[in-house]
Amino acid sequence: MKHRLQQFTRNALLALGLAASGAAMAQNAICYNCPPEWADWGTQIKAIKAKTGVTVPPDNKNSGQSLAQLVAERASPVADVTYLGVTFAIQAQKDGVVGAYQPAGWKDIPDGLKDPAGHWFTIHTGTLGFMVNVDALKGKPVPQSWADLLKPEYKGLIGYLDPASAFVGYVGAVAANQARGGTLDNFGPGIDYFKALQKNEPIVPKQTSYARVLSGEIAILLDYDFNAYRAKYKDKANVQFVIPAEGTIVVPYVMSLVAKAPHAAEGKKVLDFVLSDEGQAIWANAYLRPVRASAMPKDVQAHFLPESDYALAKSVDYAKMAAAQKAFSDRYLQDVK
Amino acid sequence: MRNARQAPWALVALTALVALFMVAPIALSVMAGLVNNYSVGLRSGLTLRWVGEVWENYGNTVGWSLVLALLCVAGNLVIGVPCAYALARSRSRAARLFEELLTLPVAVPGLASALALILAYGTLAGFRQSFAFILVGHMVFTLPFMVRTVASAFQKDELLSLEEAARSLGASFAQRFLGVLVPAVLPAIVAGSLMVFTLSVGEFNLTWMLHTPLTRTLPVGLADSYASMRIEIGSAYTLVFLIVILPVLWGLQAVGTFIEKHHGT
Amino acid sequence: MSVRHGGFAPSRALLAACAAPAVAFFAAFWLLPVALLLALPARQGWATYFTALTNTRYLQSLLQTLGLSLVVTLATLVLGALVGITLARQRFPGRQLLLSLLTLPLSFPGVIVGFFLILLGGRQGVVADLTEAAGWGRVTFAYGLAGLFLAYLYFSLPRAIGTYTAAARAMDAALEEAARSLGASRWRVARDVWIPQLQATTVACGAIVFATAMGAFGTAFTLSAKFEVLPITIYNEFTNYANFALAASLSITLGLITWLVLWVSRRVA
Repeated sequence: MKHRLQQFTRNALLALGLAASGAAMAQNAICYNCPPEWADWGTQIKAIKAKTGVTVPPDNKNSGQSLAQLVAERASPVADVTYLGVTFAIQAQKDGVVGAYQPAGWKDIPDGLKDPAGHWFTIHTGTLGFMVNVDALKGKPVPQSWADLLKPEYKGLIGYLDPASAFVGYVGAVAANQARGGTLDNFGPGIDYFKALQKNEPIVPKQTSYARVLSGEIAILLDYDFNAYRAKYKDKANVQFVIPAEGTIVVPYVMSLVAKAPHAAEGKKVLDFVLSDEGQAIWANAYLRPVRASAMPKDVQAHFLPESDYALAKSVDYAKMAAAQKAFSDRYLQDVK
Repeated sequence: MRNARQAPWALVALTALVALFMVAPIALSVMAGLVNNYSVGLRSGLTLRWVGEVWENYGNTVGWSLVLALLCVAGNLVIGVPCAYALARSRSRAARLFEELLTLPVAVPGLASALALILAYGTLAGFRQSFAFILVGHMVFTLPFMVRTVASAFQKDELLSLEEAARSLGASFAQRFLGVLVPAVLPAIVAGSLMVFTLSVGEFNLTWMLHTPLTRTLPVGLADSYASMRIEIGSAYTLVFLIVILPVLWGLQAVGTFIEKHHGT
Repeated sequence: MSVRHGGFAPSRALLAACAAPAVAFFAAFWLLPVALLLALPARQGWATYFTALTNTRYLQSLLQTLGLSLVVTLATLVLGALVGITLARQRFPGRQLLLSLLTLPLSFPGVIVGFFLILLGGRQGVVADLTEAAGWGRVTFAYGLAGLFLAYLYFSLPRAIGTYTAAARAMDAALEEAARSLGASRWRVARDVWIPQLQATTVACGAIVFATAMGAFGTAFTLSAKFEVLPITIYNEFTNYANFALAASLSITLGLITWLVLWVSRRVA
């Protein structure tokens, strides 16, 4: 009797499971790290569904969580494609969890922004700076430099994403480090900066905090230009984007096809679309710089800060940035309390 | 139980303070989910727009969480109640060892149990990508609660005599179990079920790692919405959670009280 | 949990059959997977099992988690007992509703509790509004140790209040009346009548509150507190280039310590 009961239970479970997953199998491509409110993935996902028929459910993991989940599931992947900060993609390639695919539009991507074999490729870039909710500052001046953030008047008003787990967090750390005189070989100035910043009691979330800036909970967030522009022009909030005077960096966000993806055909369709004219235009309209530069419309370009400001934003050796990430994370967690 | 004495005002004040601490955020959250703009507050007017958006984006998670919780209770009843009986009656060392092992899922962090499950069964793609995977995680975490609660009820001395009497009258085991034992521990079973339901509906630590974008539960969706959506949406989602959960909890509690009243013991 | 009554005992085969489904399920879906997990740290060398003790950062996180959990447990038991007993004895309209509202948070995921604390004590929180009106500036406590402690208290109190309310109803009124009629002060009644009767409840409740606090992840995750607790450390290792061996090692340590405290509490009871 016990055996029959076990059999019954197991069969019931499998039936339930198959019923649930069977319905979902039709024309899906699972993306890790495609949050609807980030880089306007919401619009992109809708367009993908309309143009290719593939449904991409939104997913809120950050780059670190995505990589961890991909590695945990490497024997039988759940995801088909993933969107990652470039350093995490380089690591993913080392871990062997991403496959090679050269989508349509491959030739238009500059050489430094893609893996030659196609394990990852840039779809758009962003510049790091200060996303400032001017109202939440309650009359204080908008900070213009990294040094400004250390002033006591900004106590309790600053936030930055965790450099040890979120890509944008690490980007902020590299940017601050470079601006304060450090290099990818020497993170000393960066660590010292974050140590000094602790006096202002910053909030350090682990996942995107766009909503918290809008609500005023975090008045100054180290974040990308595209998030700030979206807040300002789409959500009509009194938000300003500041490129700090000492300089900052530009970073690519990339996508990859997951190795042994369960729905590889659908995944490839998604990757083709995000690099197509239409896909790239959606990124441009969301204030990201599309990797295929021709896609940027003039009226959208007008909303960006002037090019003279953007001259302060430099690119870095992303492979080196990837190699240094683990050591920096450890050092950050150790030293910055 | 009647008590002629009024509690000292200090205790009443303390109780009031604790009650305020516990209930105020719930009220705030409900308000935040119903106003047009949280920073402005009630002055911005009330609206159901956020609730509508939540339903559109996350509506399915509500249903799935409820289904999972109910299945979790059902599963725990089927395998947990007989097991509780066995542990209560058994004098063997194996039984004591199993009891000890059963306390472990509560001690080990959910992230680790989830990772363990993925490493062990992640290769079964159909299983991994279904809600059954999450159900298994929930059951493994809640089984100890059901077993412990019901086992202590099975140990009551009166029950032993009752069972002995039934056996001597010629009742088979099945008859004894379903006709005498289960009714006797019904209050404990209901209490255990309520606990399992509550734990499953709010389970986050395990589910967060076990879920896939297609198999999201309410707590996972909630965490998502608080992270990336406006606070009004997160609050509206909490409101939806309350509206759905409260009636079920009250219903189960009412069943429990009813059974206790009409049960004796 | 041992059988005290002699005489009738069901056959071993019968008992084994009753336990078998649960044992099989538990073995397949917990024991086996966790055994696989136990083997993980060995990939990075045997010393990895002891990282929690050898690495100062992890050791600090572990001690902080232990400390926080113990303090939260004590505070919860004291407050829960006082509130539970008061509520069990006072009759007032809406008492049943209040009780169910107070035990409602048991169903909340930790994320909600974190955000409730932000609603209360964040920069835009209610408390900040009140203190600003009182002229003390905007007081924010959600992101510090105080906020974390209050959040842990928030999800622990419902369990204690529910347990103590039920236990108080079962307390022997006659004993208390007798003590009072003999002239015992309220304090002596509490010490000599209540505490012995509630001892078993207290230990059991304390154990579960402690275990929940030790393993709590969602709350600390949402509050992103600087006071690092071990579940967050484990998450950090997990997302820091998928360092599973270390995450597994820390989980094992956390699990062992929690289990040890649970085991001791059961012996004491």
